[in-house]
Amino acid sequence: MQADAQGRRFLLELFGFLPVIIFAGVLVYISFNAPNFVTLRNLELIVMQSLPVVLVCAGLAAVVMAGGDDVVSGGIDLSIPATAVLSAGITAQMLSLGYPLLFCAAAALAASTVVGVLNALLVTRIQMTPLLTTLAMFVAVVGANNVVTASRRINVDHPWIIALRAQDVGGVPLGIVVVALVVAAAFFLLHQTRWGLNLQAAGGSRDAAEISGLNVNRFIDQSFLLAAFTGFICGFFILARGSGSSPGVQDNLMLEMVLATFLGAAFSPRRVVTMWGAVLGALLVAAISIGFKSMGVNLFWTGLIKGSLIVLVVAFSAISQRAR
Amino acid sequence: MGHAAFRLSGIVKDFPGVRALDHASLEVMPGEVHGLVGENGAGKSTVIKVLAGVYQPEAGQIEVDGQRLSPATPLSVHAVGVRFIHQELHLVPHFTVTESVFMGQERTARLGLAKREMRRAAEAFLRDALGLDLPGNRLIRDLGTAERKLVQVARALIDGEAKVVVFDEPTAPLASNEVDIVMEAIARLKAQGIAILYVSHYLSEITEICDRVTVFRQGETVGVFDTITDASAGDLVFAMVGRNITDMFPPKGSRATGRGLEISGLTDGAKFAPLSLSVGEGEIVGIAGLIGSGREEFVDTLYGLRRKTSGHVTFDGSPLHIATAAQAVKAGLVLVPRDRRHDGLVLPMTVTENATLATLEDNATAGIENRKAARTATEAQIQALDIRPPNPDAVTRLLSGGNQQKVVLARWLATSARIFIFDEPTVGVDVGAKAEIYQLIEDLAAKGACIILSSSDPVELQGVCDRIAVMTRGALVGELNAGEITVDDLVAATTGAASLAEIRDAG
Repeated sequence: MQADAQGRRFLLELFGFLPVIIFAGVLVYISFNAPNFVTLRNLELIVMQSLPVVLVCAGLAAVVMAGGDDVVSGGIDLSIPATAVLSAGITAQMLSLGYPLLFCAAAALAASTVVGVLNALLVTRIQMTPLLTTLAMFVAVVGANNVVTASRRINVDHPWIIALRAQDVGGVPLGIVVVALVVAAAFFLLHQTRWGLNLQAAGGSRDAAEISGLNVNRFIDQSFLLAAFTGFICGFFILARGSGSSPGVQDNLMLEMVLATFLGAAFSPRRVVTMWGAVLGALLVAAISIGFKSMGVNLFWTGLIKGSLIVLVVAFSAISQRAR
Repeated sequence: MGHAAFRLSGIVKDFPGVRALDHASLEVMPGEVHGLVGENGAGKSTVIKVLAGVYQPEAGQIEVDGQRLSPATPLSVHAVGVRFIHQELHLVPHFTVTESVFMGQERTARLGLAKREMRRAAEAFLRDALGLDLPGNRLIRDLGTAERKLVQVARALIDGEAKVVVFDEPTAPLASNEVDIVMEAIARLKAQGIAILYVSHYLSEITEICDRVTVFRQGETVGVFDTITDASAGDLVFAMVGRNITDMFPPKGSRATGRGLEISGLTDGAKFAPLSLSVGEGEIVGIAGLIGSGREEFVDTLYGLRRKTSGHVTFDGSPLHIATAAQAVKAGLVLVPRDRRHDGLVLPMTVTENATLATLEDNATAGIENRKAARTATEAQIQALDIRPPNPDAVTRLLSGGNQQKVVLARWLATSARIFIFDEPTVGVDVGAKAEIYQLIEDLAAKGACIILSSSDPVELQGVCDRIAVMTRGALVGELNAGEITVDDLVAATTGAASLAEIRDAG
């Protein structure tokens, strides 16, 4: 009986690895079928392409760690991509009206903070489920951005924003350096400090955290603020990537954010959502997107495949959780 | 002898309609393991919450280390070194041992966490203070239950300030070979001069580990026993139960037992070992056992709510295949669940809707519900069971506990079930309704139904059942004939104070 239970458990644990195995398989397939996929230049392209996703993934990882990784009742923030798009829209619109960049950024930061505070209030004070709250917030914030930008594309040619894409620092693109710094700071905060460990305890077991004297709601509030902040920064990378704001970026960003963050759990030795896992997941997802593009896969198929991958990742994580 | 580590005296605590503690007192000396025993509802949990500062008593004094606390609050109690080891583990499964031990009191270095220092301290504390060698980087989910328990203890004591430690049922979830690990740890704490209050239903553990024992009954302290000199487990049982049992129970009819239900080798592969039991037609068989004995899991598995890993069940010789509750109902097997609010009733629905939930198909034509028929059937049930108010359209939430339970019964009596499992049918039910439920169980048996009554109330088991199967720590240890034993015997059997052979010999 003991051996049986262990074998069963091993099998369930194996399910936790399956998303990574599937992704690795898809990547190997792409590298054999897409010309020049595994070249240094292309790898740089993949990393550049992934930057907005990496940023919002870092934010989502914090929320999931503080709220727990149950996909339905645990912590989740779907509104981060919308916050990013709003941050980009406000900045672009105000730049086009002739305001200085720092002034525009301050306005974008204020708007992002409002989104974070609203999320926190609705989830911890009114006690709505994060999934519904942030989905509604996503729709509302995208609407707010449409109002601000009148739902049109606004070109941005401010040299600082272009520099995020075009400037090199010692051979490494400036954008990559900035994101690396942000991620490193988030990693330190969440995984190397007392605050971060307590935040993880809050998400790991609400009862355990409360008995240890931790204020669980405060950590959840702070995680939503952190998430809104990553959305704010992400806005500038959206502007840099597209040389301006354009409506519609948020949908794909949300899809890739959720996919990458939960995929990342498969990389962590403890099978939970972590900062590094989320970042690695974001890189993998970007690699697959670019791989499909360079293979010439039809755009509609790409959506179908990505959606299916989300279902697989979430299903496998649910199965492997039963082993605990 | 110096002054007590803590002393509660003259504690009175009232809840609406009930006096939970009536001038109760409790005193524990430094370096003493002090047991606290009493039946369910005797006031053990209430007194712990008073000591924890969670409940404010109406009267009485709380002293810790000679210092009077007024009022005691969770913070002030913690500050003077009182620690609680809750029955539930409350650990994060994907945290390491070190992270769990230091949760909420992490040590920091100049930059970030002092991870290595914390790991060394956690390992040293577990080894030296609790006698457990455990690598600090092991994940909680990879530990056994006893090891998790000690990690929980370490978390409460790691700051080195503890003077009093309260253990609330520490061994309830443990298998018997794991109990020793926890006992050993408690003995070590005692040697370090810490005062320990040990609350448990397991009297064999109490007499083994405790120096003195306080017995609570109906909110009062009925005695303090010295286990080394003058108290045996039997004395404790007598002090705990010592009350008159009124004639709440209907006379037991004569049983015409057919083959009925036969269970052989049933197990869920985890919480209880393969178990065999037979229940003849017209027979009432009780299942006795404490929390953690596997009693609840056995009932759930029999009804298809838990997955069985082996064993088979027959009725009148023909096999029953039950893997889901729906199959159980189809096979004529019915469970009246312990938590009627969650599992038994849809509270916002009316009495009629609840009572006919299992028989919707009978009251329907081509899938469309015939409300009139359902109402008529329910009115008959209300009359038969004396449900109050006698209104088929009353919303179930507004009924009293006893009447809610009767609605659950009405639903199942309407089916053509032959086998009934009652799981704690009278928890939270007043005395009058209790007697009616007992009468109903007796009536069912008289009509030839097979009945299993799983209960934590020894009086109820002894009063209602023909035979009683006793479970401890996940195993069926034997059966007792209800007619040949007393309530004390049954308490002794479930708490491990006496073996079944001893009880049979005495009877």
